[in-house]
Amino acid sequence: MLRTIERLARRLLAATDAVGNRWYGWRFNPLYQSGTIVVALYLALVVTGLWLILFYRLGAPWESVASLTANLWLGNWVRGLHRYASDAAVVATAVHAFRMFAQGRSWGARALAWVSGVLLFLLLLVCGWTGYVMVWDTFGEDLARESARMLDALPLLSEPTSRAFTGERPVPGAFFFIVLFAHIGIPLGMGVVFWLHVKRLARPALLPSRPLMWTVLGLLTGIAVVRPLLMAPKANPFVLPAEIPVDLFFAFWMPVTRDLGPGAALTTIAAAAGALLLVPLVAARRGAAAPAPSRVDEEICTGCLQCSLDCPYEAIEMIERTTSRSELVARVDPSLCVSCGICAGSCAPMGVGPPGRTGRDQVARVQAFLAGSDRRSGHVVAICCVHGAAVSSPALEAEGAAVYRVDCAGNLHTSVIEILLRGGAGGVLVLACPPRDCWNREGAHWLEERVYHDREAELQARVDRARVRIAHASAGERQHAVTVLRRFAADIATLGVPAADRTIEVDAVCEPEEPAVRR
Amino acid sequence: MRAGGTGGAQVTRLDRALGLAAAVAATAGIAWASSIRVTPHASQDAVLRLAWTARPERVEDCRPQSEEALEKLPPHMRQAVICEGTTASYRLEVRREGAVIVDQVVRGGGLRHDRPLYVFRDILLPAGEAAVSVRFVRIDSKTTATSGGGARAASSDRDSSGHADDSQGTNAMDPERRRRETEERIRQRGESVPASLSLERRFHFVAHEVILVTYDAGRRGLLAIEEPSR
Repeated sequence: MLRTIERLARRLLAATDAVGNRWYGWRFNPLYQSGTIVVALYLALVVTGLWLILFYRLGAPWESVASLTANLWLGNWVRGLHRYASDAAVVATAVHAFRMFAQGRSWGARALAWVSGVLLFLLLLVCGWTGYVMVWDTFGEDLARESARMLDALPLLSEPTSRAFTGERPVPGAFFFIVLFAHIGIPLGMGVVFWLHVKRLARPALLPSRPLMWTVLGLLTGIAVVRPLLMAPKANPFVLPAEIPVDLFFAFWMPVTRDLGPGAALTTIAAAAGALLLVPLVAARRGAAAPAPSRVDEEICTGCLQCSLDCPYEAIEMIERTTSRSELVARVDPSLCVSCGICAGSCAPMGVGPPGRTGRDQVARVQAFLAGSDRRSGHVVAICCVHGAAVSSPALEAEGAAVYRVDCAGNLHTSVIEILLRGGAGGVLVLACPPRDCWNREGAHWLEERVYHDREAELQARVDRARVRIAHASAGERQHAVTVLRRFAADIATLGVPAADRTIEVDAVCEPEEPAVRR
Repeated sequence: MRAGGTGGAQVTRLDRALGLAAAVAATAGIAWASSIRVTPHASQDAVLRLAWTARPERVEDCRPQSEEALEKLPPHMRQAVICEGTTASYRLEVRREGAVIVDQVVRGGGLRHDRPLYVFRDILLPAGEAAVSVRFVRIDSKTTATSGGGARAASSDRDSSGHADDSQGTNAMDPERRRRETEERIRQRGESVPASLSLERRFHFVAHEVILVTYDAGRRGLLAIEEPSR
C-alpha cells in the first residue's frame, strides 16, 4: 500500500519536476530547492519580525497592529511580507516533505532528518498560530477559541483556558505576553531542531541559489505591496462575526476540528502528527529489500581520506590502522550509511562501497555488459541513473544507444567509463539526475569533479574527453534525454570509430583532495 | 555552466515567460489563500452563553481529632477537625419560553472532581424576544449517611461556626492555630457556589450577538451581560 503511494508520488514528482526544469532550468527549479527556500523564508521572517515587534504593544494588541497596518510604507508591506513568507514557508515545507517521502528518503539513517523535519513543521504551525493570535482580530480570536476548546479536553490545567475568551472578563495581558514570548521563543527553538535536521549531512546546502532566493523574496514583497493587508475587525466575545478572514495555510485543520468534539478533534490532530512521525518506521525497507551499508576492504584501503571527504552523510571516519599498510583506514558507520555508494566512486583502488557496487564489482559488471553487447563498435553507451534517466531507457535504446543503469551517478567509478570506451563504445553519455535533486545529495556533483576536474578517483588523462559527456535529466524528461543523446551521437560520429582495447590498469594509490565548494 | 557537462534542458524565452507567469500566479494564490473569507456562523441565530467557574460545595464527613491523636502529630501538622468526602454535583437547567433546552449535570473539574467546576455552553437561539430561565441547583443536598457519629452533608448546611467541636478547648493545639483553621474553613465555605442559583429574564436576542450569563461571586448570584455597546 505504502509502496504504491510512494510510486504514485514519484510519478507526480517526475511530471512536476519536468515542468519546473522546462520553465526554470534545473538550477533554478524551486521544486528542487524547497528545503533551502524554507530557510531563506525563515530568515526573511526573522528580519521582518524584528521590525514588527518594535511596534507591538501588549496592552493594545489589535490597535497597535492596526496602526502599523495603516502605514502603507513602513508597516503594511513589511507585515504583508511577514505573513506571505510564513505562508510560503508552509507550502515549501510541504513540498520538501513530499519529495523526501516520494523518494524514500525518510527512513534508516535519514529518520532523524525526517522526524526533526516534522517537528519543524509543527513548530512552524504553532508559531504561525501565535502570530495570528497576537493580532487579536476575529481570526486570531477564532483560532484561540478553537485551540482552547481542544486544550481543555486534556486534564492538565486547573482552570479551562476557554474561560479567558468567554467575555466574563477582559482577556488578561498575561495571555498576550505568553503568546508574544512563544512567538519569539519558538523560532529560536526551531534553530536547534534545524541543527538536528542537518546534523547528519556533510556540507548541507542551507540557502537556495541566489537568483532563486531573491526572486522568491521579490515576488512575496511585490504581492505584499500590490495587495496591501487589511485589518479584520477587533476580537469581541459578544459578537459572532458573520465572516472571518482565514489563513488557509495555518488554519487548514479548523474545518475538520470545528465539527468534532474537543477530545475527537485533539485526537485527530495528534493522530495526524503521529502518522507523520511514524513514516520512517512504516517506510523502512527491511530484510533483503534494505540496501546494505558500505564496507571497507582493509587490505585494499590506502587510508587516503577521499571516501570520508566525499561521503555526503559523514558516515565514514578514518581510524588508526593496527597493521603497517598505512596509518589510517576507513571505517563505515552502518547507522549513518544510506548505501548511496558514492564512496565506491571516490575510491581509486576500489576498496570501499556497498556489497555488489564497489569499484571492482562495477568493473566485473561492465565487462559482462560489454561481453553481452551485440552492438557495433562506435555506438554510444548511455549510463543512466535509475532514479532519473533510466526511465527513458526504451526511448534511448530506440535511438541506438546501449543503456547501462547505475544506482547513482556518484556511485559510478570512472574506470567504468574507460572500460566502456576501450571496449569499443564510441562515446559514453552519463545522464545523471540534476545536482540539486540527487537522491544521494552530491552524486552528480562528485562525478563531474572526477571526470572533468581531476578530483581523486579521476577519469584518467588518457581517456579522450571528447567521447565523454555528462548531462542532467530527471525521470520526467524523456525528450530532453533523447535530444542530448542525439547531439552527443552526432558529435561522436565526427570522431570516427575508436579502436577496441580491453586492457585497463586500475589505480592502486590515490591522492586525497579537499572537497570543492558546492554550488 | 562549469566545464564538462552539458547541463539540463535549454530554457526558451517562451518557457521562461511561462515560468514567470506561473511564479506570479503561485504567489498570488498564496496571497489569496492567506485570507479566505469564511462564514463560520452562517445562521442568523443569537447565542446565549453560559460561562462561569465556581468552587463546588464539599459533601464530607467531619470529625474532631482527639487530644491523644493530636499530641502524636508534630505541632505544624495538627488539625482540630478532619474532613473527608467529595464535592457536590449540580444540575444546570435552561428553559426558553418554558421549554427545557439544556439539562445537564455539572461536576467539579479534575479526575477526582475536587477542582472548581466550570460551565461553558454556547446555546444558539433564534433572534427576537424570549423569556429565559437558568437554574443551577445542587444535587447532593441531603444528609446521605452517617459515619463515626459525624453527619455527612454538604458542608454549608452545617453550623456557620464551622464545627460543633471547634469551641472545645484542647491543650494539644495552639488557640491561635485553631482560630485560623476555623476561619479558613469558613472562608472556603464562603467561596463555594450557593446551593441554588437562578436567573429569569426576558432577553432581546440579536443575530450574531452573544448574551453572557455568568456567576458573580461578589453578589453570589447569576448575572447577564450583554454586548457593552448595546
